Amino acid sequence: MTTDTKSASNLAGKTLTTSFIVIGLILLAIGGYASLQVLLKGHEAVYAVNREVPWGLLIATYAYFVITSTGLAFIGGLGHAFGFEKYSKMSKRIVVMAFVILLAGFTQIGMEIGHPIRLMIYLILSPNLNAPIVWMGVFYGIELVILAVELYIIFKPNKKESDHNTAKIVGFFALLVGVLATSNLGYVFGSLNARPFYHGVYFSIFLVVSGVTAGAALLLAIHNILYKFNVPENLHSSMKALGKLMGAGIGVMIFLYLWKILSSLYTQPGDSYLAVKALLTGPLSINFWVGELLLAVILPLAIIVFSKASNMKALGIAGIIFMIGLFFTRYDFIVAGQLPPMREGLPGSGVHTVNGLAQYAPSTTEWMIFALGWGVFIFLYFLAERFLILDTEEH
Amino acid sequence: MKMGKLELTRRKFLTVSGATASAIALSGAFSAVKAVESNNQESMQHGKNSKFIPSACGMCVNKCGLIAHVENGKIRKLNPNPKFFKSRAMLCARGNAGAEEPYNPDRLKKPLLRQGKRGEGKWKEISWEEAFKLAAEKLAELKQKYQNRSSVAFISTEGFQEEFFKMLSTSYGSTNTVRHPTLCMASVIQGWSSVFGTYPDADLTEADFVLMLGANRAESFMTPDTIDFQKSMPKKQTLVYVDPRFTSTAAKADKWYAIKPGTDLAFVLAIINVIISENLYDENFVNKYTHGFEDLVKHVKQYTPEWAEKECEIPADEIIWVAREFAKYAPRSVVYPGRRTSWYVNDVYFRRACAILAAITGSWDTPGGIVPKSSIPLAKHDSALYPLYDMVEPRIDVSRKSSFKHLIPNDERAKHGLPYDKCAYLNEIDGSWVVFRDSVLKSDPYPVKGMFVYKQNPVEAVPNREKTLEMMQQMEFICTIDIQMSDTAWYSDLVLPESTYLERWDPCHSLSGIWPIVVARQPVIEPIFNTKSMKEITAGIVNEMLKIPSLWDDCWESDVEAFKETVVEPILNQPTEKFIEHQLSPYPGAHEMMLKEGVFYLDDKAKYGQTKKEGFRYKTKTGKIEIYNVRYADDGLDPLPVYASPSQPKPNEFRVILGRHAWNTHSGTQNNEYLHELEPENAVWINEKRALELGIMDGDYVYIKSSVGEQKIKAKVTKKIRPDCIFYTHGFGRLSKGLSLVYKVGASQAAILEDYVDSVSGNAAMHETFVEIRKA
Amino acid sequence: MAKKKYAIVLDASKCLNCKACTVACKLENHVPVGHETYRIWVTENEIHGNFPNLTQTFQPSQCQHCENTPCASVCPTKATYKTEEGVVLVDYDKCVLCKACMTACPYDARFVNEHVAAVEKCTMCYHRLPDREPACVETCPTKVRVFGDLNDPESEVSKLLAKNPYYRLKPSVNTRPRLFYIY
Repeated sequence: MTTDTKSASNLAGKTLTTSFIVIGLILLAIGGYASLQVLLKGHEAVYAVNREVPWGLLIATYAYFVITSTGLAFIGGLGHAFGFEKYSKMSKRIVVMAFVILLAGFTQIGMEIGHPIRLMIYLILSPNLNAPIVWMGVFYGIELVILAVELYIIFKPNKKESDHNTAKIVGFFALLVGVLATSNLGYVFGSLNARPFYHGVYFSIFLVVSGVTAGAALLLAIHNILYKFNVPENLHSSMKALGKLMGAGIGVMIFLYLWKILSSLYTQPGDSYLAVKALLTGPLSINFWVGELLLAVILPLAIIVFSKASNMKALGIAGIIFMIGLFFTRYDFIVAGQLPPMREGLPGSGVHTVNGLAQYAPSTTEWMIFALGWGVFIFLYFLAERFLILDTEEH
Repeated sequence: MKMGKLELTRRKFLTVSGATASAIALSGAFSAVKAVESNNQESMQHGKNSKFIPSACGMCVNKCGLIAHVENGKIRKLNPNPKFFKSRAMLCARGNAGAEEPYNPDRLKKPLLRQGKRGEGKWKEISWEEAFKLAAEKLAELKQKYQNRSSVAFISTEGFQEEFFKMLSTSYGSTNTVRHPTLCMASVIQGWSSVFGTYPDADLTEADFVLMLGANRAESFMTPDTIDFQKSMPKKQTLVYVDPRFTSTAAKADKWYAIKPGTDLAFVLAIINVIISENLYDENFVNKYTHGFEDLVKHVKQYTPEWAEKECEIPADEIIWVAREFAKYAPRSVVYPGRRTSWYVNDVYFRRACAILAAITGSWDTPGGIVPKSSIPLAKHDSALYPLYDMVEPRIDVSRKSSFKHLIPNDERAKHGLPYDKCAYLNEIDGSWVVFRDSVLKSDPYPVKGMFVYKQNPVEAVPNREKTLEMMQQMEFICTIDIQMSDTAWYSDLVLPESTYLERWDPCHSLSGIWPIVVARQPVIEPIFNTKSMKEITAGIVNEMLKIPSLWDDCWESDVEAFKETVVEPILNQPTEKFIEHQLSPYPGAHEMMLKEGVFYLDDKAKYGQTKKEGFRYKTKTGKIEIYNVRYADDGLDPLPVYASPSQPKPNEFRVILGRHAWNTHSGTQNNEYLHELEPENAVWINEKRALELGIMDGDYVYIKSSVGEQKIKAKVTKKIRPDCIFYTHGFGRLSKGLSLVYKVGASQAAILEDYVDSVSGNAAMHETFVEIRKA
Repeated sequence: MAKKKYAIVLDASKCLNCKACTVACKLENHVPVGHETYRIWVTENEIHGNFPNLTQTFQPSQCQHCENTPCASVCPTKATYKTEEGVVLVDYDKCVLCKACMTACPYDARFVNEHVAAVEKCTMCYHRLPDREPACVETCPTKVRVFGDLNDPESEVSKLLAKNPYYRLKPSVNTRPRLFYIY
């Protein structure tokens, strides 16, 4: 066993991790206060989600966290199971990060769903196997277990050769179940009869691709933060590989965007058209052009391309920018599909629309619950960095 | 598994199953709601605390039969009574929302005595004993001070308990009773009665052609007409609807004419002109039943469709079409009399013209035509003897000395046919609100310094709110009886809380019409708060009055004894159940039927032709249907309706037109949360072209200004109204903080309406106000 | 005993937009007052034409009780289910408030009721059946809605559908509603 002092010396130092732990605690406090409000006053009183747009910020942040987790698991799986050396160098961090960010995601869905405990009970007592949400529960549940097993194996003292084989198999399943879970999340939306924007295979693919990209981006970002933008030499090859993976991911995303937007525009005047119009020129247009496109596509891709994916700092910045932009990507994805109203907002209809679209803007409490998610991630992750050795020795 | 699920379902969804033996025992009307006995053990248990009690609705004037579903002593739901055929077994939004009335958080819960200034809202809770004593003392004080019992006005509106309020005013002996009809339908009653001697109904079940002028039946609910006109339309009926506003009735109509406001009389006269000139009238009917047709022929020659087109902006060929269609389908043609006709100062003449149209086409007392109302007479307390007092003056609105020319717009119409020294035909119990208030303010010819108000809310109901408040300000004592803190109650000195219509026994009301029926009320729940019925309140005050000798010094002592023996003891000091029993005593079994079914009727079939029987005498001077009214001629009025152009708004002005809708009754129901959510705030309809000129967008706030007041209100920019007028709903922009949902929300009508009077009937003329609008 | 197949047939041309049904529904079913909490609604359709030639129609509606039920298929706990008679109901105890059914419903017929802590919607007044009609049907002045059993050829709903051309809302989503609008 290596001592804490030694582990810390490898990194930028105790101060940084401690500061992040404190930041995490502050976010947890904010989130905790908000959770209390939710428990006391009820969802309806403090959330801005409404009859027309029942799913809002918390579903978006849930997707943001859990899809990133499966993206990380994917990259970890590539390292473990398929022997991508460059990724396996980071495998400890990947597993810890994936596990912790999955937990962060669960806080979001836990605070979003009215009766989370009841969900667990009835998923066992009377599951509706036709319902994609059941499979979402199943897959993400299994994913959490797999990641826990991986954690155990990674931190198990006195590893044997068989452990490496187990790690390979478990890593493979983390990748497989992760992809299943995320593509199924696309299906949760795709199965909504009323919402053509989500129909088809598009979001299943887009979420997996953007998830893997997010995994790479988050690893680039965190490594740079941990090493104060001075990533040690031995990790450079891994970082470059991640940079290329991220660049490729964004490249694929560009194509997906292009055809989704064009094909949706041709469904005029259908709901898919309305949703895309909401993104391009409607209430979500700033989110879309600045958040989704500039921050999550153009800037990071440009940085990667111009730095030839070999400048560590540049990759770190690209990763951070991407992770900010990705939030808008997830938010827009959730909200845009629900903006076309199911009935016209005419007098007496009870439907509230402005310019023919439903309305939603997150409440303060919803933002605070988002802070809870970040709090869980930052607190637990930097706690791990602070007290565990996350640098992976060569296999 | 299936069974298990079903049981689970039942447990959760059958919060109450109606089907129980106990319910049947409690309410015979139960069978009427198509419930059958169930042997489901679970629903039996639920049913134990579930009762179905028949009563009558009190949310508007229709008094529809209802069956209250009461669970554990709390009203769960009010359902229509299928036996109440007058409503065709329906209950409207208001009727349903009535279930909330007893539980309304804004209810008056205890007698309140004013502490601070009037309208300041400082109250002290007092006991009923104190309240009764105070009311009696004030009555005595005012009588002593002014030596005139008429110095106290008794103001009320219709309702089952109004009968007992009238007993209070009669006991005291004031002649100044002021009721709602002169804010409502006094002119239509006068107009039709001046022709047929009665105010009739329209048989919309059998009519083939219906002409509705401003009577918005789809929104302003009157049973059974609202239902019948719709039901008859898809089959055969043609509906022609005339209104400056595209209402829901217009949406249902075959033809809608957006007539220029104030010119309806020209339209009807032109129709009469066509029918006569084309010989389309019913000659036999005219000869047999009417008086003065020849005068009419001469009189209407001038009113050609081409002339009318210019007045009312309805094309002449359309007028000709309506006239020919009307005559073609007669006698199954209806020119609909209408209800709230407080429109213009010459409204009676317009109503007369409508009645004359019905008369010359013979659409009278026959299926599908205009039919006189029948009624089921109830036993009265004929033996009731009230004292004859010395200190009584005649009604103030009749005996006033000064002219009220200022209450009639100075245009062509004022030149003849409209008296301005006194109203031509005032109902001696109803009076004329506008003239009454004007006279009180002038103390002409004597001061009126006390006010007892039951159920009415003159502050919001009578045009020109400032003037009403001024009148109240000069009162020495005001006592208001209501269920919520109305605006009038807010400015009162003593406020007495009445039990709602669901918490009390109410005497029978015989609802006259083509399908007469009797309803009464039994309490469906116990009073929730410390409230009493009007009857108990009258009894309480009268009993206290009897303890004050000075109140009885201007009548014979024997009169007082007779009063005690025939009024106080047998009526006021007896429960209302006894009263109901007495009312129904002429009909064996009626009382039992009333308690069991909530209704009593003799026959559910319409009767026609009563007035066509040999020897029948119409209640007119000649005993005939008076096309030419002899009495009008004698009294210096126009014996035949003469058209005179009303003033029109200047280009920058709008005329205010009013209207009702199905979600609220007058100013009485806006504070009910179930109705409030249907219309949380009123908005002024402005024609889209005019709005564009004024730079007003839909949803903007605007100021509406007339000569008497200004209100701020949201704009509803629409193509559903003529460019020269505006409309908004009644009952918003309230002054009473006790009406928390509508206090200062939206705009008040009374605050901007100018006070004019139709001096033939005494009806207020509420469509005569012109306003300017500017963006807020 | 033959199974019942409940349906509501609506003649929207009879509707006066009086809101009797919406208020009756709220009281009968303890639906809280509020602008998002309603089971049934009456839409004032857009006005056609120009002054003074105008037309306006009203459309009362509610949960369509679809035979092909998008809300039930996405419900993870089978809280939303269909009875034998085809009435779509929510078991409040099983509802986890994930709101998937709300996003899946093409008619915006569902909402969260805080009082029962569940998603709810029109039940065809299941608790009143079969002895009493749904509250909206019973209270309507002009009897826009007719309720009955499609499996009974003598029922009024069966006869109305046999006699009149009808349409159902949003046929493109293939939900096969049990609410029929006759022309």
